[in-house]
Amino acid sequence: MSDAIEAARPLIAAQALCKTYITASGASLLAVDRVGLSIGDGELVTIVGPSGCGKSTLLRMIAGLDEYSEGVLKLDGTPITGPSRDVGVVFQSANLLPWMSVRDNVALPLRVGGKHTAETGRVDRLLEMTGLGEFGGRYPYELSGGMQQRAGICRALARDPRILLMDEPFGALDALTRERMNLELQRIWQQSGKTIVLITHSISEAIFLGDRVIVMSARPGRVLRDIAVPIPRPRSLDTIIAHPAYGEIAREIRGLLNAEGTVD
Amino acid sequence: MSARPHSGPNGSLIAGLGTLVLLAAWFAAVRFLHVPSYILPAPEAVVRALWSGLAVNPASSLGYYLPLWSTFSNAAVGFLLGCGLGLLLGSLMAEFITVEKLVMPYAFALQSLPKVAIAPLIVIWFGFGDGSKVAISALLAFFPILINSFTGLRSVEPEKLDLMRSLSASRLETYWLVKLPHAAPFIFAGLDMAVVYALLGAIVAEFLGAQQGMGVVITQAQAVTDVAGVFAALVILGVVGVVLHSTVRRIEHRVVHWGHRGKK
Ligand SMILES: Nc1ncnc2c1ncn2[C@@H]1O[C@H](COP(=O)(O)OP(=O)(O)OP(=O)(O)O)[C@@H](O)[C@H]1O
Ligand SMILES: [Mg+2]
Repeated sequence: MSDAIEAARPLIAAQALCKTYITASGASLLAVDRVGLSIGDGELVTIVGPSGCGKSTLLRMIAGLDEYSEGVLKLDGTPITGPSRDVGVVFQSANLLPWMSVRDNVALPLRVGGKHTAETGRVDRLLEMTGLGEFGGRYPYELSGGMQQRAGICRALARDPRILLMDEPFGALDALTRERMNLELQRIWQQSGKTIVLITHSISEAIFLGDRVIVMSARPGRVLRDIAVPIPRPRSLDTIIAHPAYGEIAREIRGLLNAEGTVD
Repeated sequence: MSARPHSGPNGSLIAGLGTLVLLAAWFAAVRFLHVPSYILPAPEAVVRALWSGLAVNPASSLGYYLPLWSTFSNAAVGFLLGCGLGLLLGSLMAEFITVEKLVMPYAFALQSLPKVAIAPLIVIWFGFGDGSKVAISALLAFFPILINSFTGLRSVEPEKLDLMRSLSASRLETYWLVKLPHAAPFIFAGLDMAVVYALLGAIVAEFLGAQQGMGVVITQAQAVTDVAGVFAALVILGVVGVVLHSTVRRIEHRVVHWGHRGKK
């Protein structure tokens, strides 16, 4: 996979994007401040930033779940006005429906929202791909946290969307499971060629997964820096730490976040 | 979990012992303390009354079967009617703010009114026949379902609603696949109350004057100070209540299967 130089026609493009919340007390709160973004087709971009800086807000606007207050936000050249079938969302908690079997959970996107797609084994292939092949008939409470998260990813992939938006998908997992999920996500991404935007609190995860790491400021969230990660793929957890660029980028990100007064 | 009290063979042993002690105390009170039989009839007298009501041709007007059927069938129709309307209105209130704003003040006012107090009015409207029994049962069953379904439907986690929104699911799909299953435990808790209330409603209607039913059996026994007969009828109603209650619980365990086997 040659490093994407797709700047000609970004798949996701934001210019001077702002989001102001009106809080319960009636005050207005600027959560996202003049964010500019350009994410090319097939890129895997990670976003880090202090807690409460507006990362989730940014992702929700791209997902069409939150409206933006000002600026431009386009998906494949068209302004975003609501959820799109081209976008799959992976939530922080696996967010599975406990009353449905794992297979039904993964098949949910094919059953709702009109334009029903014939399943034709797609769900089973996805489960197989993420090592959940035997668990399709089980219920979410019978799965470990990591397995639930994998099922959540399968569900986001069910409609074969071009874009995967992930909000701290592995935040609740233990370090070991998390590393395994990182490897798995890299593999899925390399196989599918999808565009992925992933929010994380972990600097190492951000560098390991990202073609680029976008560092955001404390609230109101602005883009502090957009750092390219020139480490070849496929990356492995052992080799990446040895790569000279790794330590450099990690230091740079940590410095930026420290200056913002928050470290994770 | 293994040390949970009131469950397992130990629990039923304790319950059985308790019943024995209670019966012995009852027996002793009548035998040795000479409590008069118009206050507390001897256990044998109650058993005799029970037997004379049970060991008859089911079609005989002397037995419990006809009155019990009359009370039960009317309570059942009232239960279904009340629960159906309660769920319908609860759903409309949860889905449409306008309906909520319109109905909520009345619902709360009626909720805090002791509803059996309306029973005489209903008898005026519906007469002394089955209509009144059904109507009062329905009225009493209606409110717990209304309140519980409304509360349950409104308490869905926002993340699950975001999921459905991100899939462009229709309102009906979201209601059917997410809100209603989420509300199921609430609704069953309501059904558990409603099933007993419906029985209560039918009995109250019968107290106010009816041709047949367990309420009539009780008032007739009371008219001739047949306290043993009253006790026997209460035993029958108690058994029916327990059976209905445990039936609802059994159905709930089957339907809300995800709520009982550990949570995630
Ligand atoms: N619905 C809302 N109404 C009002 N304010 C909100 C709302 N949602 C978020 N905010 C505020 O907007 C800011 C950004 O929130 P957001 O959830 O995007 O942060 P975040 O970067 O994802 O944080 P974290 O890393 O902790 O998840 C926060 O200060 C938050 O309090
Ligand atoms: Mg967040």
